[in-house]
Amino acid sequence: MEFQSLLIIAVGAIFISNFVLERFLGICPYIGVSQKLHAAFGMGMAVIFVMSMASVVTWTIYTYLLKPSTTNIIYRLIMKGQGSPPDLTYLRTITFILVIATLVQFVEMVIQKTSPGLNRTLGIYLPLITTNCAILGVSILNIESGYGFIESLVNGFASGIGFTLALILMAGLREKLELTNVPRAMRGAPIAFILAGCMSLAFLGFTGLKIG
Amino acid sequence: MKDIIRFSLILTFVAIISAGSLSWINKITKSEILSQEQKNLTDALMEVLPGSNSQDIIPIQQEGQILYYIGYVNSMRARVNGYALIVESKGYTSTIRTLVGIDTSGTILRIKILFQEETPGLGSRCEEIRNGELIPWWQAQFQNMNINNLAVDKDGGLIQSITGATITSRAITDSIANKTKVFIETMNSAKTDKIDE
Amino acid sequence: MLNILTRGLYKSNPVFRLMLGLCPVLAVSSSVHNAIGMGTAVIFVLVSSNFIVSLIRKMIPRRIRIPIFIMIIATFVTIVDLLMAGFSPLLHKSLGLYIPLIVVNCIILGRVETFASKNKIIFSVADGLGMGFGFTLSLVLIASFREILGNGTWLGMQIFGSKFKPAILMILPPGAFLTIGLLMGLLHWIDHYRTVHKHVHSKAR
Repeated sequence: MEFQSLLIIAVGAIFISNFVLERFLGICPYIGVSQKLHAAFGMGMAVIFVMSMASVVTWTIYTYLLKPSTTNIIYRLIMKGQGSPPDLTYLRTITFILVIATLVQFVEMVIQKTSPGLNRTLGIYLPLITTNCAILGVSILNIESGYGFIESLVNGFASGIGFTLALILMAGLREKLELTNVPRAMRGAPIAFILAGCMSLAFLGFTGLKIG
Repeated sequence: MKDIIRFSLILTFVAIISAGSLSWINKITKSEILSQEQKNLTDALMEVLPGSNSQDIIPIQQEGQILYYIGYVNSMRARVNGYALIVESKGYTSTIRTLVGIDTSGTILRIKILFQEETPGLGSRCEEIRNGELIPWWQAQFQNMNINNLAVDKDGGLIQSITGATITSRAITDSIANKTKVFIETMNSAKTDKIDE
Repeated sequence: MLNILTRGLYKSNPVFRLMLGLCPVLAVSSSVHNAIGMGTAVIFVLVSSNFIVSLIRKMIPRRIRIPIFIMIIATFVTIVDLLMAGFSPLLHKSLGLYIPLIVVNCIILGRVETFASKNKIIFSVADGLGMGFGFTLSLVLIASFREILGNGTWLGMQIFGSKFKPAILMILPPGAFLTIGLLMGLLHWIDHYRTVHKHVHSKAR
């Protein structure tokens, strides 16, 4: 594990294949929660936190429970190392979504009990996150890219940053936009999409960026 | 408390039913997925080694990894038709995997791109099939090229690069040239070793 | 009944009106072929989940309904995933990540929660079909714009002569945002025009 490869993953997740603008994940909160800068910031923080957690947890579960290998826990404990390791990868989607839903509930509970300050910033955004496809998306991407534990963590964290960056930029633009005279039919979501298109165009400039 | 037990029982029950039905579907589709993958590879191999039947193409393995494939002229397996090897190249947005067929003298028979996720409309045109043609025009250029003078036009070679996607074109061309050169050299040195014995 | 079937197409179209399930709409609309594949997958999952949930709606305890719904949906999504990988590997490859992500598509959980868990089986299936077709239709519409302008083809068929230089931007990510924004604006404009028209008519009477 070199530092450089982690840096490549991080820059890739934030700029080159930005979760919102190039991969189209988490569009619903991107359009829905980007009217106010303050809300966008809270949502972004919640996503970064849950994404990092989810990356780590789903990676661990996939590697030690679902993937057929000799270190598979089911193979070790229940089958006692006999026969061939079970291939449960087809349960990936259902396991991941349940794990993420449970994780979000758990995080919500812990934050409520321990930190009222954090609860005020993140609290209302946490329930929305379960159905945010960015979380499930990053978990599956970690597996399909063949990342290890640390790489998954970095990818999850950086993808969250990328999401937040896009969200905050958008919120800043939309706050300014409220003062301008937009044609009636384009007000609200349509103009937000056009803005997103322009931002996506700008981010397209990062593709092909070569590091190292 | 009673509720918690009841709820967890219900959830477990639902989970078992879905897992059960999924494992059943998985069993049905698994062999289909495997045979599809196998068929794709066999088709690609037959395409890059014209003149060899599928049963005459033998994978050469080392420590469980397939190094390359040998295609024989017929089932006697006496005369080698050519070799096929998989070349990976770092393109613009993805790692491109190409299957390359070469004959024993170092002339390319055919190439076939197995995987690419390049920019649609630009780099992805390396797989574009023009109207009325059978194989992608860009890959067709490699036919009968000698591996020693393989380069894109911008580097003074004969391979016409895709408009707006020089990086993709160059990445594939150069990686094929490098890998096949090394491959032919090792094959030749192996041959001379045998003669020495 | 007919109303349930048709309202998903225009009046409460899931994409343009309810703004649900936008991620796959933007992501797979770069070609009509992909759009139809995605639409079919969503119709299957939506109809099957609506059917099953409506069938067992009286047995589900209210407090744990969401996890049960998610499990049912995830099961059908995995079935689509496996079937597509086995019988249509090319489509599976090009839709890739977005197939498992149908699980978190808000349309499905939304319909299951607001409609199927409260209505009879036949209405729930009709609702699934209507919403599914509405989704597919919008997806194909967006994909048509993008494929024709960005690649000069429709469903792989050449539309313009060979002299046509396609605007590649349209099949790149920005094109998706621009197309959906403009189409949504157009729809708002039509709505506005129609209400103004109605207003004028009623006044004249």
